[in-house]
Amino acid sequence: MSALTEARLRSILAWVVIVLVAGPVAGAVALGVLHGDSPCILCWAQRTSMALIALVGLFVLRYGPRPKYLGMVVLLGVFGQYMALRHAGLHLARDLGQGFSESILGAHTYSWAWLVHVVALAVIGLLLLFLREVAGAERPHEPRGAARFAFGLFAVVVAANAVQAFVSTGPPPFMGQSDPVRLSLNPKHWVWSMEELTTPAPISLRGSWTVPRADDAVAAADPDPADGPLAGLPALRSVAWERISAPLDGALRGLARDPATGRWLAVTEGYGVDLLDSTATRVLHHVRLDGGWSIDVGPLAGAAFLGGDTLAVVGTNKSWVLLLPDPKADNDSMWKRFRQTDGGVAELDRGRFATVRARLQYVHSLAFDPAAQELITLSVPSPRQRRLVVSRFARSDMALASEFRPSLGPGLTLAGSSRSPAEYLVTGAAVADGELYAVSASFSTLLVIDLGSRMVTAAYALPGLVRPVGVAVRGAQLLLALGDGRIAVLPRPAP
Amino acid sequence: MEFLNFVLILVIVWLLWRRPERERLAFGLLVASCLLMALLFYVGARGSIVPGVNL
Repeated sequence: MSALTEARLRSILAWVVIVLVAGPVAGAVALGVLHGDSPCILCWAQRTSMALIALVGLFVLRYGPRPKYLGMVVLLGVFGQYMALRHAGLHLARDLGQGFSESILGAHTYSWAWLVHVVALAVIGLLLLFLREVAGAERPHEPRGAARFAFGLFAVVVAANAVQAFVSTGPPPFMGQSDPVRLSLNPKHWVWSMEELTTPAPISLRGSWTVPRADDAVAAADPDPADGPLAGLPALRSVAWERISAPLDGALRGLARDPATGRWLAVTEGYGVDLLDSTATRVLHHVRLDGGWSIDVGPLAGAAFLGGDTLAVVGTNKSWVLLLPDPKADNDSMWKRFRQTDGGVAELDRGRFATVRARLQYVHSLAFDPAAQELITLSVPSPRQRRLVVSRFARSDMALASEFRPSLGPGLTLAGSSRSPAEYLVTGAAVADGELYAVSASFSTLLVIDLGSRMVTAAYALPGLVRPVGVAVRGAQLLLALGDGRIAVLPRPAP
Repeated sequence: MEFLNFVLILVIVWLLWRRPERERLAFGLLVASCLLMALLFYVGARGSIVPGVNL
């Protein structure tokens, strides 16, 4: 491996600067001139960063590879990657080609900015790796050849950027915008603004991703029905109590009942899944999932029977697991999926529900509509995403089939103009005869949602039933489960 | 402000080319330009400082 002399370093660096300036920094101006593309405020910062990296290269050409220059270019490379990732994060998860503004060779400019900063760091690393130790400070080097050309090209390209910046963003104190209009040389179309400063934007680390955990929201929920968003609700009172007497290995977090066999499916703290007999006195099968294997399954929050023997459970993060009682289960292959098993259960599959309207919201319930062969979740609202969304997923491919925000039916009125059904925090759901029964831990309320009209047709206060974790239907009865395993029996409201 | 920053960069490259003995000033202006760039990015990103992706 031959060492790199300082003279050779300067020669290579001159061409690196030329490529960097002639490529992305000049190319960005060309995009504006040829296609009218204007950078947003974030794009401008990334373009400036690339120009600054080239400028540090010129410092090295002039004064040699001093440590402060190398430190500066590493900082610029790291910050440039952060900027590109922060910017690209707005668009990376969108569908094919749905980025922001123009693309080059199939990638949008913020993606190229990330690559350019990675390459800049890699080039610096390589040059340092091969660089022979250099002498201390000496007189500035007179640029010649490629270095001279690099200086000239840099000045011309930066001047062109300055002109474009003047047209697109204006003189100080005006600055770049989030949604700039296309570049025009006609001053009539120039937009000079300070909207980025004047638009009220709270300083936030995670923005719309700042969502309290579903369990925290449940724990903080106000259980008093009188404080709820719907006014004057009739009360639905328990007429009897039952309880799950089968031994569970943690607090109950979700419950479902199989209408065909009367069996129960319970999910508990610590990823426990228990199939119980119809009297809830005996555990037929038990597993404890490994929630961290492959797909991150959030704390279990809902369960459903999918017909036949297939069982479904869902985590608060909308990750799901399908299970099947199977006396011939291959327990060696199930080891990675289960932390505990009675040996008679197989995991069929696990995956993630993808929603549209309920994105960035947790769920705390799962139901199955046998008529439509669809699984149903209801979103947990948060201060950032104040929506109650019913999402339906086809059993055939577990993909989103439809989604809606239920409207209020006749006879239901809000307690105030600022109130909303999105204040309900649904922790249990079940479907019977085309009706979706959803129990809310906030304001201890039962919502009856007609799946045909997508409307809340009735709602009932549930006095004394604090933080229900599940609901099931048994003929003319509704069964509301609490975390300690008690089950309140209520009359099922007539449709 | 982006225009100001590019003018600043032009001043720096002029110093490097025509007044190489003013290295300290040029480097100081380089630091100022970096800070201005970071400030402008922060203004545009302050609503969500961390990238909006699944961490």
